[in-house]
Amino acid sequence: MKSAPLPLMLLILGLTFAFLYVPISVLVALSFNESGLPTAWTGFSVKWYGELARNGDILKAAGNTLIVALASTVVATTLGTLLAVGVEIRRRKGRFLETIIFAPMIIPDIVLAIALLSFFSLLNVTMGLHTIIVSHVVFNLAFVCAVVRARLKTFDWSVVEASQDLGASTLTTLRRVVLPVLSPAVVAGALLAFTLSVDEFIIAFFTAGAGRDSITLPMQIFAMIRFGVTPEINALSTIVMGLSVLMLTLSQRLNRGRLPGQ
Amino acid sequence: MNDRKPLYLMSPALMWLSAFMVVPCVLILALAFFRRGLYGGIEYTLTLENLALVVDPLYASIFLKSAWIAGLSALIAVVIGYAAAYAISAMPRKHQPKLLFLAVLPFWSNYLVRTYAWIVLLNREGLITALARWFGFEGELPKMLYTEPAVVVGLVYNYLPFVILACYAPLSRLNPEIEEASRDLGGSGWTTFRRVTLPMTVPGIATGFVFVFVLSIGNFVTPALLGGGQFQMIGNLIYAQFLTANDWPFGAALSMVLIAIMMMLLTAQTFAAERGSGGRTEES
Amino acid sequence: MSEPLLSLSNVTKEFGSVRAVDGVNLDIAENEFFALLGASGSGKTTLLRMLAGFETPTSGEVRLDGRDISHVSPNHRPVNLMFQSYALFPHMSVARNIAYGLEMERLPRSEINARVGEILEMIQLSDLAGRKPDQLSGGQRQRVALARALVKRPRLLLLDEPLGALDKKLRGAMQLELKRIQDQFGITFIVVTHDQEEALVMADRVAILKDGGLLQCGTPREIYEHPQSRFAADFIGLMNFMPATVADGALLARDGSRIAAPLPEGAHNGDPMIAAVRPERLHLGEGDHENRLRGRLIAKAYHGLDLQLHLETDLSQEPILVRLTASEAEGQALETGTAITLGWKAQDTRVFNA
Repeated sequence: MKSAPLPLMLLILGLTFAFLYVPISVLVALSFNESGLPTAWTGFSVKWYGELARNGDILKAAGNTLIVALASTVVATTLGTLLAVGVEIRRRKGRFLETIIFAPMIIPDIVLAIALLSFFSLLNVTMGLHTIIVSHVVFNLAFVCAVVRARLKTFDWSVVEASQDLGASTLTTLRRVVLPVLSPAVVAGALLAFTLSVDEFIIAFFTAGAGRDSITLPMQIFAMIRFGVTPEINALSTIVMGLSVLMLTLSQRLNRGRLPGQ
Repeated sequence: MNDRKPLYLMSPALMWLSAFMVVPCVLILALAFFRRGLYGGIEYTLTLENLALVVDPLYASIFLKSAWIAGLSALIAVVIGYAAAYAISAMPRKHQPKLLFLAVLPFWSNYLVRTYAWIVLLNREGLITALARWFGFEGELPKMLYTEPAVVVGLVYNYLPFVILACYAPLSRLNPEIEEASRDLGGSGWTTFRRVTLPMTVPGIATGFVFVFVLSIGNFVTPALLGGGQFQMIGNLIYAQFLTANDWPFGAALSMVLIAIMMMLLTAQTFAAERGSGGRTEES
Repeated sequence: MSEPLLSLSNVTKEFGSVRAVDGVNLDIAENEFFALLGASGSGKTTLLRMLAGFETPTSGEVRLDGRDISHVSPNHRPVNLMFQSYALFPHMSVARNIAYGLEMERLPRSEINARVGEILEMIQLSDLAGRKPDQLSGGQRQRVALARALVKRPRLLLLDEPLGALDKKLRGAMQLELKRIQDQFGITFIVVTHDQEEALVMADRVAILKDGGLLQCGTPREIYEHPQSRFAADFIGLMNFMPATVADGALLARDGSRIAAPLPEGAHNGDPMIAAVRPERLHLGEGDHENRLRGRLIAKAYHGLDLQLHLETDLSQEPILVRLTASEAEGQALETGTAITLGWKAQDTRVFNA
């Protein structure tokens, strides 16, 4: 504990949390406002959620988002975990390697987005959900790798040696000794990747192509916001927010707080 | 484990990254040196005119404005973030993880939604206006949405949780006996903060600042949604080149400059992080 | 003593329902080297922190030079603390670390430089003045921490487990070094430690703390030769304990033998007691020893200066420990498994309530 005056500290905390939570709380509250307008509260209602459910475009976008998220998560988790294990058991660590692995997280997403757009255009690839998936894997695998590596840093490698000493092959050791210990981190990484994919806008926007069939939920939300504030957006926002928060809380519980950056 | 095994494990991911990250980025680099074709598309003649255009006063001013906005946002975020992180670290140890979790939680929600929330607040018919009216204010409120301050607020709001996290890390690792030593030697609370705590936790501030700056300067969503049609930052400019103006080479050139700025900052930050000293609890 | 420098009156500290320090009364004189000795949880650290000002007593008073400082904040007390982790400022050089406290006193720069230079000479670290703490060895860091506190010429210097982080050899040297420094500066030192050997070597007087309370206070010799409680007897040095009952002005041991010993006041026949005698007070062979014991030698340990014997006896459950000097042990057979007889004086027996 520090020697700072307590009332001042509490004030700072109070103001900061107010700043952080008021805007999103307002959104959630408005989504249940019968009138849908910030100017008048006319009663509690879930009618805007009902409106959402009837909106075909939104439902299609949600479906697309789910497909993209699931597909990219599966691929990214596999690749990312293998990468993490490979990097950590390697004796020689290169700075070049580290740069490549961390690059997807550092490159501004708009740059990555246009780079991928140019790439696909040059190769004359028709763009759609598949190109979004491929693009999402790029940053997702970097995050999964980071999460799994964090867990591996505290991994006691002597159990691997013990397993081999007791007669197990490398494959068996991986399967029965390493993976069980890693699995919470792998799942945590997968949840993180899933959430990032669901929330991702820019890269999806640029790599979706021209077709109306490959619109994801964030793209839909963006379009709706551009059009103007409507109460359905409030309801949609609440759902999307709740989902991300849930997934990431789960992810952290699993990994006990060992997320990248901590 | 022999030395070949790691390579097998890493190769699928590395191949993916090479194909879908390295190559596209190199492509962009190359693209900057070509010319926009007559009807859009790319004319494959090598030229430096795109880069020249980048430093043209018209576009340079956009770069400067973006840097200004990014810098301002980073500064504000760091001031608020450090204060909040300090306050959290001043709370009883057992409450700190929960408080930190609460502070970081908003960061995990969709950033479109988080930006949108400010539209709802700042709108002409938004919440703030509604509140003012409720308090009896009759006149015309100054324009809040679609202004430069709105963009800054949006950026600060989006990245504040990370700054709190970044500043909290060195603060929580601080050996409490060092601050006590300062007080024991006669330093007041403020002097202790100024001469001991602050210098020792600068790496966190640097990390936070660079993070916000780098993410803000290339940001597209926040200026687009909160800045209104007239407002242009580099992100919007690049977007325009690719989606409306159809001048991909120029867009590529702009991206190059953006990356260059980013790399400079990251290098500077690594420098600062190495200079900042320890003071971990595991002393001697 | 004449007016004591530091006076603790019934000092108590409670943390919620836990009483860390319980009604401690203590007077410490000027220029004294004092030790607060106790195990972890004994309250010694809390007591130290109250002296430094980082805790305030729940009740009771702390007086320095007659002035009540119980609630004075640490930066306003003429008391300085040498922290267990040294707590050197890692971003400041050795010289700046030492100068810090003087800067807080708003002294003119010339005086600061002079005093810092002076003390650097005294602790022999002048060449390292520009180095940062992470470039120093453990022993050097300790000297800087000490200098940083001493340069302010406090009325009282507190040292929290000062030798804990040092290796054994360095520790011995530092014990003497600290004594020398205390003598040279003439400042009152209060050392907090769990190491009884350290306390006995360095201090002019020692206070034994247990569960927040003051058990006994006295010179090292008094504490060692005349412990007033079983705990103190056990905590300081090595001691042999023999359960016995009071019988006609003496004690009756478990094996029926008679132990002559000074009994405490009000002891009645049949009272259960514990007789205790130090290992070095047990002797072989002739001598005017009122007491005798007989046991089987189960282990011998050569310790250079002395020979330690472990005997199995009927007097107590635990083996009896004997320390013989080299000369005493000379020429003696002392084979494991054989029976040995030892004697000791009645006046060397300590008796405690069971």
